[in-house]
Amino acid sequence: MYCIETENLSHQFASGKNILDNITLQVPSGSIYGFLGPNGAGKTTTLRLILGLLKKQSGRISIFGQTFEKNRVGILRKLGSLIETPSLYGHLTAAENLLLLQKIYQCPKTRIPEVLELVGLSDTAHKKVSQFSLGMKQRLSIAVALLNQPELLILDEPTNGLDPNGIIEMRELFKRLNQEQGITILISSHLLGEIEKLVSHVGIIHKGQLLFEGTLQDLIQKQQESSSLKLSTNDNARALQVLQSIYPEAQQQNGKLALPPLANAEIAAVNRQLLQHGLEVYHLAIEQNDLESIFMELVKN
Amino acid sequence: MNATLLYSIQSEWMKTKRSAAFWLVLLGGFFTPAILCLIYMVYIEKLAPAYSEPKFWIKWYLNGWESMAYLLLPMGIVLATSLIAQLEYKNNAWKQVLTTPQSLSTVFVAKYTVVLFMMFQLFVLFTIGMYFAGALPAWYYGHVPYPKGPFPWQRIVQMSTSFYITSLPILALQYFLSVYFKNFMVSLGAGILMVTAAITALSWRYVYLVPYSYGGVHFMQLQGRMRFKSNVLDIHYLALIYFAGFTLLAYLLYLTKKEKG
Repeated sequence: MYCIETENLSHQFASGKNILDNITLQVPSGSIYGFLGPNGAGKTTTLRLILGLLKKQSGRISIFGQTFEKNRVGILRKLGSLIETPSLYGHLTAAENLLLLQKIYQCPKTRIPEVLELVGLSDTAHKKVSQFSLGMKQRLSIAVALLNQPELLILDEPTNGLDPNGIIEMRELFKRLNQEQGITILISSHLLGEIEKLVSHVGIIHKGQLLFEGTLQDLIQKQQESSSLKLSTNDNARALQVLQSIYPEAQQQNGKLALPPLANAEIAAVNRQLLQHGLEVYHLAIEQNDLESIFMELVKN
Repeated sequence: MNATLLYSIQSEWMKTKRSAAFWLVLLGGFFTPAILCLIYMVYIEKLAPAYSEPKFWIKWYLNGWESMAYLLLPMGIVLATSLIAQLEYKNNAWKQVLTTPQSLSTVFVAKYTVVLFMMFQLFVLFTIGMYFAGALPAWYYGHVPYPKGPFPWQRIVQMSTSFYITSLPILALQYFLSVYFKNFMVSLGAGILMVTAAITALSWRYVYLVPYSYGGVHFMQLQGRMRFKSNVLDIHYLALIYFAGFTLLAYLLYLTKKEKG
């Protein structure tokens, strides 16, 4: 069961420039879905379309198995969101900002101190938001998104402006909400490193196209597949000839020789071969691409 | 009125707390009475004859409307309406409002109701201010008699209602401009331009076509100084027609706006 599904979602600017090209997303219920892409990739546009903030041009959007257009109010009742910059009224206090939304959601007033506590703003409930730092505003925006005890959270770069400690705190909070309350979380970021410790599923978008979608495990699998045995010798050209006679896929990469990942015994055999040909081996190791380089690789290709 | 709309209005009303629009309405309501009171307190010698007049309150109230009708009220509406809609733009809050579980129509009507109510509040404050500003010199100076006869509430309410109706087209068009255009200068600039044009149009034969001038026209009618008559309808009906037209236009364009929030 998917909590959010989009099908062939495309969007164009008035100038005719394509922002999204047939995006088909599937966010499983109960997952934490990391929506990754560099700045300008189309993440925010996708999220704005999902939330109905942009008029849909083509494609289909379904949330909780329902078409958004036909069930807008019902869907929004079960959803919390934070899109780009915080949406808070500077002349009101943190508690007043939550109170005016509590009126609309008609959730219990006790939720206000609860969510302030969750994001660590209990002490500043009666401080005007205009006096808040960006990090505090971001925390309050997360509190706003949690006010109605949503089943789905859509968060667009929620850790913007937070200090490293704040990032860790929020990550733990999202994990807890997901595990304890079963909230599905769709979280966008341009940094894989920032969310790889949090997400169960990943979608990678670049220039309006979805390049990868799957579980984090799938992405790690891709990482393992892309690892290689790297070596360097006193004469790489001759070493390449020797290696290609055994492993035709051997190649030179950035001043080193690269072979597909091998078992330990095969690595030892490679070393022996090179020594037998009078070559001196300076470096021999399996190098794994980290997730960040896989992401960069996908984006570059 | 359904419950969702009521909650939405309450929420919108809470947003105006301590906002620039709130202060503008509060100070704007008392501004003219305060100035008039100050003038009366300075010219003590004219007070006794003025206060002895049988229709003192009506004349006093119209005195207040002289500056309000042409300039202060239209400008106040332009500013207050722009500031209320600007609350969302300035705080990047449209996207939050439009992802809450309320229909687009509810959001539109709730905000509009608050703007209408704030203008009503301005009228109430102005009337209360005029009463106290009129009574203060009599209370303060022993030789000035308290105006004869009771305060003509009924007539004052009637006159206020008339002015309120003539202000509705300005409110509707300004609401549309403020909600539709992100740039504060569009609504403010257009408003200032229209108010200026309306004052100029007061001496024009077809002044009845310019809805921003209806307050001034009504005031001149009350004073018996209006030279031209509308061939079609009374300005109150025209004001209501413009109000309905601008509201409908605002609503349709708001609903069909491609990018919301």
